[in-house]
Amino acid sequence: MVNYYYDGSFEGLLTSIYEAYYKRQSPYIAPAQKSKQINMFEENFQIETCQEKASKVYDAIYKKISYDALKHVYHAYLSELDGVSQNIYQYIKLGFKVGKKVDLYLTDESVFPVHNASRLVRKETHLMHGLIRFKSFDDDLYYASYQPDHNITALLIPHFSKRFSSQNWIIHDIKRNIGAVYDKTNCVITDMPNQIYNKQIFKQDQYENLFKEFFNSICIKERINPKLQKQFMPKRYWKHLIEKQ
Amino acid sequence: MELQKKLEILSGAAKYDVSCSSSGSKRKNTKVGIGNGSSCGICHSWSDDGRCISLLKILLTNYCVYDCAYCVNRISNDVPRATFTPEEVAGLTINFYKRNYIEGLFLSSAIIKNPNYTMELLYQSVKILRTQHRFNGYIHIKAIPGSDLNLIELTGQLVDRMSVNIELPSSNGLKMLAPQKEKQSILKPMGFINSKILQTKEEKRIVKKTPSFVPAGQSTQLIVGATPDHDLSIIRLSEKLYQHYRLKRVYYSAYVPVTSQNPNLPAINKPPLLREHRLYQADWLLRFYGFSAQELLNESMPNFDTKVDPKANWALNNIHLFPVEINRADYETLLRVPGIGVRSAQKIIRARKVKSLDMDDLKKLGIVLKRAKFFITCKGKYNGGLDINDKLIRYALTDDVKTYDITTQWEQLSLFPMLDSMPTLNDNFMSITGEI
Repeated sequence: MVNYYYDGSFEGLLTSIYEAYYKRQSPYIAPAQKSKQINMFEENFQIETCQEKASKVYDAIYKKISYDALKHVYHAYLSELDGVSQNIYQYIKLGFKVGKKVDLYLTDESVFPVHNASRLVRKETHLMHGLIRFKSFDDDLYYASYQPDHNITALLIPHFSKRFSSQNWIIHDIKRNIGAVYDKTNCVITDMPNQIYNKQIFKQDQYENLFKEFFNSICIKERINPKLQKQFMPKRYWKHLIEKQ
Repeated sequence: MELQKKLEILSGAAKYDVSCSSSGSKRKNTKVGIGNGSSCGICHSWSDDGRCISLLKILLTNYCVYDCAYCVNRISNDVPRATFTPEEVAGLTINFYKRNYIEGLFLSSAIIKNPNYTMELLYQSVKILRTQHRFNGYIHIKAIPGSDLNLIELTGQLVDRMSVNIELPSSNGLKMLAPQKEKQSILKPMGFINSKILQTKEEKRIVKKTPSFVPAGQSTQLIVGATPDHDLSIIRLSEKLYQHYRLKRVYYSAYVPVTSQNPNLPAINKPPLLREHRLYQADWLLRFYGFSAQELLNESMPNFDTKVDPKANWALNNIHLFPVEINRADYETLLRVPGIGVRSAQKIIRARKVKSLDMDDLKKLGIVLKRAKFFITCKGKYNGGLDINDKLIRYALTDDVKTYDITTQWEQLSLFPMLDSMPTLNDNFMSITGEI
């Protein structure tokens, strides 16, 4: 049994797949920080991320499999689920064998975990397009904090930079300490310490109260259905929703 | 009056309008503007009744000249009244939008003074939003029946969706509960908007820069349970609206008893939510599954069964068409299997290109087999566990432990409950002698 550990980046994952292919091994691939115990009877490799090797694999997926497959791989990687790296590896292996038809093998053990993970990521991204709540600093800077299950901050950027193109905004993932910062022209993802997230610095905003008022009065009392509400808007997201505070 | 108080009154008065979708518009943001349309629609929150909040749903005013019995804003009802100015509406919308609370504005209104005056105010509000605030998000606006068609046309050029509410599904109901309204005055703006949308589409084909007109189409709403209309007449009306007026959606609103004592209104305590749900299911069958109203219901059975959904009901009444082979049936046939929806059918079609599917594969595809298993075969094998008999399957589908009411429904079990008639003494003799 051979284990590959990579640094957790997407390039690292692709490099591991490159190494596995050229070393003719079929390893178990996992991100380094998540591996708990190292078995002394197994061979363990630390894979060093290499931009060149990664981009080769990247191009190969695009050319030899399909654009859709590349999207599935990237989204599944962002899901950060346990064992998803290995699933992606199996998926790409099958993809190189059967080409763009890989996405038809919906019932295959090496395809449906990847499809599933990428679906979860896209689903949460769509949900967050709605559930992100910006707080306003003097109508000049808009700041939103959130704690998504998956690492979707990068996927939120296209939507919000189109929608709020004339507005400075920050979306801060306080679970992973990263944030997307937009300054009316460019958007970057940077490390962002948790300390920035501090409720005290926000002034009272009259529109927050108005929205809370609206939220309460739009509900039809005869139809109250908290189960349905939680089904659409799981409780773990409520912490950052001003109408639920 | 304070803005907060106004918002409380006017959003509370708008909540019985169920339409909330923000889909269908691809309006793009401009360089200095704010907002865009998202063609799939985005929900921004869900209120305590489980309904989504995607648009800021408010009335411009709840001062009304009409006296419709079912409506909370009727002139004879004693409720607090308020009016927004167009500037206030625009300000609220833009500030909520900047904080990503909403996807856009849903602006409706009671009839203040006269229809034209009301429509004028609605037009002002969206005009301020679109031109002064350069707002490019979603706007859904009510076309007021009886207002000038020019005014409706001008408004239509600014908004994404327009709607005219029919509310009561028959002219009899209208006469009884809303004597000041006429069927014709409701259908007139609807027809006008439809022809305008068509015209714009044609023009767009030739001149690409033609200004858009109601790009997300129009919708309407029907109240369920306020009049004695059957489900059949409601669903037939919807079918006609989809075909002749090319509506995007018909919404159904379970009648919430908002008024005290009107002899023409039914005396109910709870809104008929299950009936509303069945109508929505049937509505989806009309729009996405290729069903017609006549197939789902007929004169001898004008209401939906509350225990099984409309599609399962149809399948049980047409049991001779089943079971279907999952690996060979075409898309349209798959769609008609209870429990298999658009997404599942598409997945089956794709997955079976590389592999013939069995029951376990269907489970892996995430297809819910609770109902489907009675109506399908996989590689020729039937896994329903019962004979294909509509009575047996109906029993299996409805005999849910949760809905099983022990006090009223228990019965002595019999070995032959499903036989049409018990064997007679004569039959017993015949079975021994073999003579008929």
